[in-house]
Amino acid sequence: MKIVGVVAVVAVVLSLRIALYRARRRRRRDGGGGRPARRSLDLPTLESALGDVGLVAGREIRERVRGRIFRIGTLVILVAVAAVIVIPTLDKTTTLPQQKVGVVGTLSPQVRQVVEVAGRATREKVVLAGESSRQSAAAALRSGKLDVVIVNSTEMLVDHPLGSSKSHADVPFVDTVAEYLGVLQAYERAGLTTAQRAVVSGARPVPVTSLTPGGKSAVQTTSVIGLVLLFIMLTQYCTWTLIGVLQEKSSRVVEVLLSTVRPIQLLGGKVLGIGLVAMGQAALIVGVALAIGAAVGSDLLHGAAPIAVLAELLWLLLGYAFYSWVYAAAGSTAERQDQVQTLALPLSLPVLFGYVYSITVASSGGTPSLFFKVLAYFPPTAPFCMSVLVGLRQATWWEFLASTLLSLAGTVAVAVFAARIYRRAVLRTGGRVRLAELVGRPTAGRRP
Amino acid sequence: MAGLLQVEGLRRRFGSVVALDGLTFDVPAGEVVGFLGPNGAGKTTTMRAIFGLTDLDGGTVRWNGASVSQADRRAFGYMPEERGLYPGMLVGEQVEYLGRLHGLSRAESARETAGWLERLDIATRRGDKVETLSHGNQQRVQLAAALVHAPELLVLDEPLSGLDPTGIDAIGRVLVDQARSGCCVLFSSHQLDLVEDLCDRVVIIDHGRLVVAGTVDDLATSGARRLQVRVEGRRDAEWAERLPGVRVSELSGGAVRLLLDDDTDSDEVLRAAMTAGRVTEFSFTRRRLSEVFREALA
Repeated sequence: MKIVGVVAVVAVVLSLRIALYRARRRRRRDGGGGRPARRSLDLPTLESALGDVGLVAGREIRERVRGRIFRIGTLVILVAVAAVIVIPTLDKTTTLPQQKVGVVGTLSPQVRQVVEVAGRATREKVVLAGESSRQSAAAALRSGKLDVVIVNSTEMLVDHPLGSSKSHADVPFVDTVAEYLGVLQAYERAGLTTAQRAVVSGARPVPVTSLTPGGKSAVQTTSVIGLVLLFIMLTQYCTWTLIGVLQEKSSRVVEVLLSTVRPIQLLGGKVLGIGLVAMGQAALIVGVALAIGAAVGSDLLHGAAPIAVLAELLWLLLGYAFYSWVYAAAGSTAERQDQVQTLALPLSLPVLFGYVYSITVASSGGTPSLFFKVLAYFPPTAPFCMSVLVGLRQATWWEFLASTLLSLAGTVAVAVFAARIYRRAVLRTGGRVRLAELVGRPTAGRRP
Repeated sequence: MAGLLQVEGLRRRFGSVVALDGLTFDVPAGEVVGFLGPNGAGKTTTMRAIFGLTDLDGGTVRWNGASVSQADRRAFGYMPEERGLYPGMLVGEQVEYLGRLHGLSRAESARETAGWLERLDIATRRGDKVETLSHGNQQRVQLAAALVHAPELLVLDEPLSGLDPTGIDAIGRVLVDQARSGCCVLFSSHQLDLVEDLCDRVVIIDHGRLVVAGTVDDLATSGARRLQVRVEGRRDAEWAERLPGVRVSELSGGAVRLLLDDDTDSDEVLRAAMTAGRVTEFSFTRRRLSEVFREALA
């Protein structure tokens, strides 16, 4: 059923794409040159609240969201995230064996709980079916419609001796249920009150600690997936900023823009616009992931995993706020598109370092080193390291807050520095501007 | 009359190169002012300085007597030499966006954009990306972007370069109309005949300094008297070169343009021309702008 659902969603998406493509072709055939302007994406609140910065941000949002690369990229990420969440659950349901359990007499809540716990413990999917009498249950057992029968919570029937090749009953499951039913009978004979029974029934096994690390927990897996997405999205959005600034400079449109708005307004609008698109895309992905996870009952989004996901979302925002200014300033020093790689490589090194180190720590699941914890307070690496600490429950709320505040302070400092470089570099043409020419005091000149 | 735009003593040095060296001139309201000079004279630097796009070592740009503010610049229109448009943005949206950055409301900007695209004959390309337009049409979009907010000052760097005659006529008409409606129009060009036709006034600079400024009429009638003489069968000016108080200014298409000193008798020139052959043209002429330019920079 789940496969059918996934196929249906894919079919609907593909149909929509084909319909849009055909409509576009038809429009072009009917005379593309004179076609009316596309309906613009209205962002009046943003534009009226923030003035010129809002206008610049609004243009960035419109142009990015309309871009084919953005739409296809979002779709690809959504499909990948859905696949990561859905595929393990498909695997789980197809391989999980089933025990059809017939019940004669009333099934008390305690007995139902016993059966469910035994099913989980022995990795059996349990299907309960009421039977009117012992005879009808025995007949169903013989015909193979049932694997096991519980009679009045005091007896269990199987078709063949346990462990024989003809038996359909799962031995560990039957043994576990039989043992628990016996314990329940013992409670009754001991004359325990309801409250006492509840206490005894609620007993949990003591924790078992392994001296060697075992496989990944669901939270760890979620944390690693989140880190991969965080790295991809952070790099992508910051590169957008770099290329956006560079394109405005190389197309000379920046000269027209700066004849009416201040450099900081133009730069701030660009960073804000791309940031809002980034957060929109990230929120969409997280929302879809949570919805799909809840729908298919994925282990990846249980327990502390949603907190790890939300922490990564926040750190995507903080990481973008920090790095976007750096990338924008770098973009203003370039002249041509082919310089993007040269500029982006050194900037991506701290991102890459934080990412690789964090993936290593998150995958191992061990206690992070002191050095790693220190890096969680250093703005360039905090987005990755603090996300991992949250996922591993190694950070208290005040440590998280301290790291956030440090990151914000770092962002303000970087923004001031970047705006200064941007103002000096973005109108200079005729080759790449060297950083040394920009960081010192101007030798001459003032704005008229 | 003091101009609305006043450029006072601008100085700018790029390393060892002096771009502006105390440049001063005015742009009066309601006039089209041609901004002329050889390559590297400092025209683009001056225009960028008006918009605060380059740092200055000295001098001031004033608008209505006060230093130009950011609010003033919102009311200016600018068309840089290296055209600046988003290549992948739609024509209509691009002009509307720039209109809004200049302070127009959404509705005003949409209305003005539609009007200017119509007037500049590119309304049918409103929904196309700028990069799909020809050079000439991109130039029209750029002009629409500079005009959409009804600027009080219009500064255009080489607005006519690369245009066909139809485009030149269309843009030229717009510039004159803008000036007649009270706008200050300052534009640079190397097409001196066009400047002479369009402009009320010219400013000629060289090496960052003012060389000549004045109305086209004043400059055309100033200086030495000019005679244009055509002698049948003669494509040289040997007959005139020996005359006292006479200098040969230009020789083109069989016509000789001569500069006469104040005390030179034009009858003597006519007699010399008749001696050389049959005279088919003999007339006093105005000084052409190209002559003003060459003489100013000589």
